[in-house]
Amino acid sequence: MRNGAQIVLECLRAEGVNLAFGYPGGAIMPLYDALEGSGISHVLMRHEQGAVFAAEGYARATGRVGVAIATSGPGATNLVTGIADAKMDSVPLVCITGQVRSPLIGTDAFQETDVFGVTLSLTKWSRLVRAIEDLPGIIAEGFYWARSGRPGPVVIDIPVDILRAGADFCGPVSFIPPRISEHVGSQSTFAATVSALLQQAKKPVVLVGAGARLSGAVADLQRLLDLLNIPTFATVHGLGAVKQDSPYYLGMVGMHGTRAANMALDETDLLLVFGARLDDRVTGDPSRFAPHAKIVHFEIDPAQLDRVRTCELPVIGNLAETIPAFYREAERTQLPDFSAWRAVACGAARAEPRNPGLAHPTKSFLQQLFSRMPKDGTFLADVGQHQMWAAQCYRASSPRGFITSGGLGAMGFALPAAIGVQLAKPGTTVLSISGDGGFQMNIQELATVHRLDLPIKMVIIDNKYLGMVRQWQELFYKRNYAETDLSDNPDFVEIAKAYKISAALITEEEFLDPASSGEVARRLDRFFASSQPELLVFECHPEANVYPMVPSGAALSEMIFEVSEEK
Amino acid sequence: MHVFHLRYRNSQGTLMRILTAVVRRTIDLAYVQAEPSEHAHKVTLLVDVNAKQVGQLCRDWRAIVDVIDVRPGVPIKEFWDYAHVGIPRPPESVGPIETARSATA
Repeated sequence: MRNGAQIVLECLRAEGVNLAFGYPGGAIMPLYDALEGSGISHVLMRHEQGAVFAAEGYARATGRVGVAIATSGPGATNLVTGIADAKMDSVPLVCITGQVRSPLIGTDAFQETDVFGVTLSLTKWSRLVRAIEDLPGIIAEGFYWARSGRPGPVVIDIPVDILRAGADFCGPVSFIPPRISEHVGSQSTFAATVSALLQQAKKPVVLVGAGARLSGAVADLQRLLDLLNIPTFATVHGLGAVKQDSPYYLGMVGMHGTRAANMALDETDLLLVFGARLDDRVTGDPSRFAPHAKIVHFEIDPAQLDRVRTCELPVIGNLAETIPAFYREAERTQLPDFSAWRAVACGAARAEPRNPGLAHPTKSFLQQLFSRMPKDGTFLADVGQHQMWAAQCYRASSPRGFITSGGLGAMGFALPAAIGVQLAKPGTTVLSISGDGGFQMNIQELATVHRLDLPIKMVIIDNKYLGMVRQWQELFYKRNYAETDLSDNPDFVEIAKAYKISAALITEEEFLDPASSGEVARRLDRFFASSQPELLVFECHPEANVYPMVPSGAALSEMIFEVSEEK
Repeated sequence: MHVFHLRYRNSQGTLMRILTAVVRRTIDLAYVQAEPSEHAHKVTLLVDVNAKQVGQLCRDWRAIVDVIDVRPGVPIKEFWDYAHVGIPRPPESVGPIETARSATA
């Protein structure tokens, strides 16, 4: 005989869960009561949003399913942003939420929310449990869907009376899916077709997205890219999937992508896409995206095809299968010589204009941070200007080494996600960078960092603005900086100290002063060498912007660059 | 107007996921009929979509876990007429006076 809470925990263990992130409350109390001795460690976060982002960080760093636990009502609704984030970025996530007693469901009881309904369009799969006997099957099926195909979020909502009830329990069960999608792996002739398209192409390019990392196909992809040797670029989630020193690699593409990558996309006649959604930040104006190109789209999720631009050849399936199949075909085919096209696309003439601008010190600071990161380290970016500067500066070749909320763009992501990453990869360096706005969205998780004594290296890029919004106000709203001024920010160093975390400040002036360069370098060395949590605040120019930039709705060829005038 | 026939397992939320895929694109649902069908359920939808949206919707529906089959049908005039004329109307909603009264109660 077990109660529902014990059954849940045993089923979680059977799915390989040994760590969960959460926040207790009334309707989930039986689960917390049963935690001790369950074999599952629980991390008490200081907000449910922190819990779900930490679970995401754990999942993104490992590829395993992250688990977040919350109570009913506000506890569950506080998970919603993280669930949406996991959906957008294909993160395997299972959220266990408590619900009011079954007889009270639908009565607007205290802390009752229809979390099943609220999250319906954000989840890959969800269930409101109606009987204790259903628990083993539901948990097994939930984990199956969270990690299968294109990974995604699952919600399992459990009324408190079911968690408390007792039942005979014969052990966890396995889930056998009722069907296998008829789309996957059914296109055996695609490799020859893609090869034929390459034969006809004059200016082929490759776009790498998150799918290459998620499918574990990075090594196969690199082998293929080395063979093709054609201009290649990545989305923000594809960063790290391509060896950055490859001679054909042009960096990030899209709204804040490199000039060379965006120009190559504008000119190409054949675009090979590997595991990217082609969202608006990548395409710009979809009607003018890769206007001369045929598109071959390698993708596991058919729902991602043709969203903004019709592709000529969809290749549906796991990249871990389709890339090797294409490689074998390409290897035995005499590919055309693309060296002339590669020389143009990757040539020095397409480098960005040499105008370092106001963002130069910050980017230089980020480069100094990255240069100190060990190869097995993980970097997390929050959302905003610092995220794009970091993406532009990131040079590591680590498939899971660059983590950010790319699709949803959820400010406040980085700090709690870094907690999940550090717990997933103890003994490795975890560097988390936030803006001053985003850091304050989950600043309470400093308490979690301190409690667990996690040696996370936290950096705030402090421009005393909601910088990316201010940049758009400057460029597109006649400098009407409406409600983006954060000049009354608290003293972050003192706040960190209140949480008993070591903290320091570096100003842009200090960083640029040649007389201080040695001292700054030593402080950065100490920052990384410390075995304790550390916070570093870098005060940068308030009106530094991210360039290049493709204005929203413009074509990728319509990039704008920083003008040299002083502000 | 296009007609779609979907077969699905009538598990929690599957029909709502099918409908949400339409509604989130700000496409009106002119006609919906869901009913048991052999060992599963089927739903017939009449929606005003362009060719690109047909493809997007079909792919979105197929990505829903418990959707078994998606078949776009040809536009049928009878469906269109039925959608505009023949559907039984729900009771009239509460009028403005009653609404005001209940709001102040």
